[in-house]
Amino acid sequence: MRQTILSVVLDVDPQSVRHLSDLIEDFKRQQEEAGTESYVRLKDGLPSLHFLSMSVFQSADYDPVFVIEANFDGASDTFWRHFEATMADHLRPMLRCCKRPVDNDEPVYDAVTKPGAREPVVTYLARRTLRPSVFHQGNRGLERERILRERDLFLAIKGELAQPSPTAPNPYRAIPAEQIHTRLRNAMSRSFPWLAEPASPRIPWTERTADFCRLLAFLFATFLCLSIPGMAVAPVTPALRFAVLTAVLAGLVAIGLWRMHRARAGEGVPTRSGGLTPASLSVKNRLTSFAHPVTLVAGLLFVVALYVVAATVIGSVLTMLITGLSYADSFWPTARVVLLGLASIAFTAPAVVLWLRWLERRDSSHDEPPVDVQLLREMARREDWIAQNHMGSVVLIKPGVLRTILVRTGHLGLGLILRAIATDGYLGSMRTVHFAHWAFINNGSRLMFFSNFDHSWESYLDDFIEKAHGGLTLAWGSGVGFPPTRFLVLDGASHGRKFKAWARHSMAVSRFWFSAYRDLTVDQIERNARIADGLRKATLKAQEATAWARDL
Amino acid sequence: MGAGSVTASTVKERLSWRLKPPHDQQTQGIVVSGFSGLPAGKALFLHCDGPDADAGQGPWLRTLMRVAPIAASDGKPEKRAAAIAFTWTGLQKAGLSPEALATFAAPFREGMYQEDRLRRLGDKIKNEWQEPVIDGGPLWSGNVPVSDGDTPDPESARVTTRTTVHALLLLYGEAVADVQAWSDEIEQALAPHSVKIVHHLALDLQFDQDGIGREHFGFADGVSQPIPFGDPNVASEDTVVLSDGKPAPRDPWHGVPLGEILLGHTNAHAEKAPGPIVRDDERARAAKLPLQGAPEGFLNLGLNGSYMVVRELRQYVARFWQSLDDNAARIRAHDPSATHVTADWLAERIVGRNIDGHLLCPRGLLAADEYRQPQNGFGFAKLDPHGQGCPLGSHVRRANPRDGLAQNLASAPALLDAVNNHRILRRGRKYGPTPTDSRIDDGAERGLLFICLNADIARQFEFIQQTWLLNKNFATLYDETDPLMGPKGRFTIPEQPLRRIVEVQTFIQLAGGEYFFLPSLPALNYLSGLQD
Repeated sequence: MRQTILSVVLDVDPQSVRHLSDLIEDFKRQQEEAGTESYVRLKDGLPSLHFLSMSVFQSADYDPVFVIEANFDGASDTFWRHFEATMADHLRPMLRCCKRPVDNDEPVYDAVTKPGAREPVVTYLARRTLRPSVFHQGNRGLERERILRERDLFLAIKGELAQPSPTAPNPYRAIPAEQIHTRLRNAMSRSFPWLAEPASPRIPWTERTADFCRLLAFLFATFLCLSIPGMAVAPVTPALRFAVLTAVLAGLVAIGLWRMHRARAGEGVPTRSGGLTPASLSVKNRLTSFAHPVTLVAGLLFVVALYVVAATVIGSVLTMLITGLSYADSFWPTARVVLLGLASIAFTAPAVVLWLRWLERRDSSHDEPPVDVQLLREMARREDWIAQNHMGSVVLIKPGVLRTILVRTGHLGLGLILRAIATDGYLGSMRTVHFAHWAFINNGSRLMFFSNFDHSWESYLDDFIEKAHGGLTLAWGSGVGFPPTRFLVLDGASHGRKFKAWARHSMAVSRFWFSAYRDLTVDQIERNARIADGLRKATLKAQEATAWARDL
Repeated sequence: MGAGSVTASTVKERLSWRLKPPHDQQTQGIVVSGFSGLPAGKALFLHCDGPDADAGQGPWLRTLMRVAPIAASDGKPEKRAAAIAFTWTGLQKAGLSPEALATFAAPFREGMYQEDRLRRLGDKIKNEWQEPVIDGGPLWSGNVPVSDGDTPDPESARVTTRTTVHALLLLYGEAVADVQAWSDEIEQALAPHSVKIVHHLALDLQFDQDGIGREHFGFADGVSQPIPFGDPNVASEDTVVLSDGKPAPRDPWHGVPLGEILLGHTNAHAEKAPGPIVRDDERARAAKLPLQGAPEGFLNLGLNGSYMVVRELRQYVARFWQSLDDNAARIRAHDPSATHVTADWLAERIVGRNIDGHLLCPRGLLAADEYRQPQNGFGFAKLDPHGQGCPLGSHVRRANPRDGLAQNLASAPALLDAVNNHRILRRGRKYGPTPTDSRIDDGAERGLLFICLNADIARQFEFIQQTWLLNKNFATLYDETDPLMGPKGRFTIPEQPLRRIVEVQTFIQLAGGEYFFLPSLPALNYLSGLQD
């Protein structure tokens, strides 16, 4: 099933910020006390909810911001309906602490917040909802109900496999894996009748196709944009002259890049692994993975070929319409322009990189961002209680035309690539993220990040530093004060200590945070899913059964 | 477990690492050596009773330096060696300025018993001491006060221990009697300065007839250590050499940059490991504190020093073996075909190596290396990805997962690189008598004085403790922690076709601990002159 990640970002009246924080804390206390199980009211009231957080960001650079972050199954309308029924009474006073919006939403805000208002708060929240620029899920396509029932199955199996009597033989011992499977399936099918039904596909083929089409469209647009300077010149320039011109310009850019490719003194962080560099490709990967060099090159060639064909066909039709030439007459001239345009990327792409590098060498980094000791303590006090942790961060984005274009394009591309390729939950070699997302706020001048991740904050950040610093630097390197980067993906987050300090400094206390499965890591959810998938099958072959039994 | 690099010299000597001049004369000897040639030892926990520095209590550190000169790491053979480290309160007592005290790393400034840290280390959660801590809580610490701006949780009081330790003095000698005599001499010399030995432990390092140093449960200890390297191509970075004088290459399995162990050197994040600094003044210059690496107007107090984590861990030997006897009997009753399951078999799986330190593999033991020592250059990804030999949750695999957390062989090098950013240099030794019968509780107190050196306590020691050893979800295990160090619970031994479960007890308890600063010799010189 498809899952939704969204956030609602509201400016807070600075005078009410303390009161708002208190309201959130009160709400948290009530949830903890309600019923025998903590958060049971919320868990029952919002049956599709995986993770929910409420935080208030405070900074010297902007008025306080109240953010509600929600990660749930299915589309938003059902979620909002449940949200209204469960949370409206708590949310309304919180909304009153927020500033009145300065756009067309003022009447809705007034209707929701006026004394004695009955208007659903979600009408306002839905209108202020932000969609992420990049998002990632560790257990894509597993709805909450399935995660929970597969956990129950896992725990029941643990009980079933244990022999309570200390002296009697255990019936699951001294039999081969296939028989363990059969016996366990028989024992479990009574309490878990759903094992008889096949599981619904985690990612339907329609969604998968759409993901790939969107990625292809993005690549198409990127090639086209980079080809534009070449295409503009191509119709009036002989091919040889065009080639020489491109080669000369590309050569000049290459010289410039060579002179600037090194890090400034003391800013280089050579890393052996975890980067987005050719070195991260390996023939040890499966041939179906884009981390296999052969597959990547083949994929790129395919995309380029597809671009040439599609651009020529579409271009010819447009030329035909504009000039009145026949399709046959316009085809080859168009193909020539497309091909020459493509060739000119040899100049335009490095030129963009050169411009970027020029900026990078002049960016100052924030080596020791001030961190409020008390705030730090508030964060630490809320961390490391359950298997997962939560973080939210807001940073300012570096200004400038190129930076704006790159951060937007970078996020769009990264988001689409993650969607198409990282379907097994791995980011590089790390799989500790349940739900994470980035979003642009305040007209794209700030970048917000939220993550619900496994293990401690230190280990999560270290994972990024050690195993996925390339992708992270691409996504976050546009933040003001980020440790020095090179070519958008190098160094950056590899400045481990500085990066951690920068990230901490941008964070808010996660005043309220809800997890629907507090003891499960992404890996454990997948383990439970593998066990359940095995039990859904009536029989397993010997080899399959051995592999399956390893998870028990 | 956690003793130092302490196997006795055997047939062929492995090349060891050391520091190049002038660093070798500035660094305490304990950094480079576990003093395996000096098998007797004693840990003296010092408390300075006198009034605060400004009241002028006299240079007790100078007296101490006279009776117990601190060994340098220049490799000169000595019959006696000493090392010293200070808690935050100890440095305060020594008269270090508040400004300088504030430049130490946060974990050291806050101490091991800060509320959130106690939870992360698994010692105290929701105001309750956990099972792996002795009843009533630890006996000693630095009793570091709550720092400025910190607001303690009203629901849980700040932990204070009965005994406040200001410094830890480690003595090493050839014979027990000699170390005892030395210790008495020190006690007498310090008495006029109102510095007391408030706690002490006799440390020992007895090698058995095979030359193996064993911890109390009987297992060979200190097999695996990180091996620092410098950069031979950069003049200021070629600080590590091998005992044959050649530059130390990066060890493929255990290589860590020197800055992971010593402050002021390049670390895993390609920066100089940050350490404390002091104002540039005459006194600091006289102590020969280096300018190198310090900002304008300051001198480097940290260079060639380190942070030392100390935890006194009591071991319950009889409980360990009795509980494994019970488990073996239960497992064999449940599965009469499991004749291989004995207490020894279970104990080896809990540790991950056999009793002599050789790694357990799916098909037997890993062969010894060319020095007839347990082979330590290996990864799990290729050798044992499913933990069929060395269990996924065994102590050695949790303490150093190597490349074993990789999801496939392609990512194994990346995972190994990642893990090596979290290594510690262990320098602990056991204390208390060796049990005569490991099944019988003789009531004697024994255990391990766990000591490790690292430059970033949070990223190294605390990370290992929290993310690996006590992580209930380590390596996709569920609801179990380190079978040796953790509380009572389950421990999974992967086997085909079906894993076995051991019900482990609490075998080890914390009796005291703190974070210390191990100063360089110039820094020690500076500290001892502060109260002139």
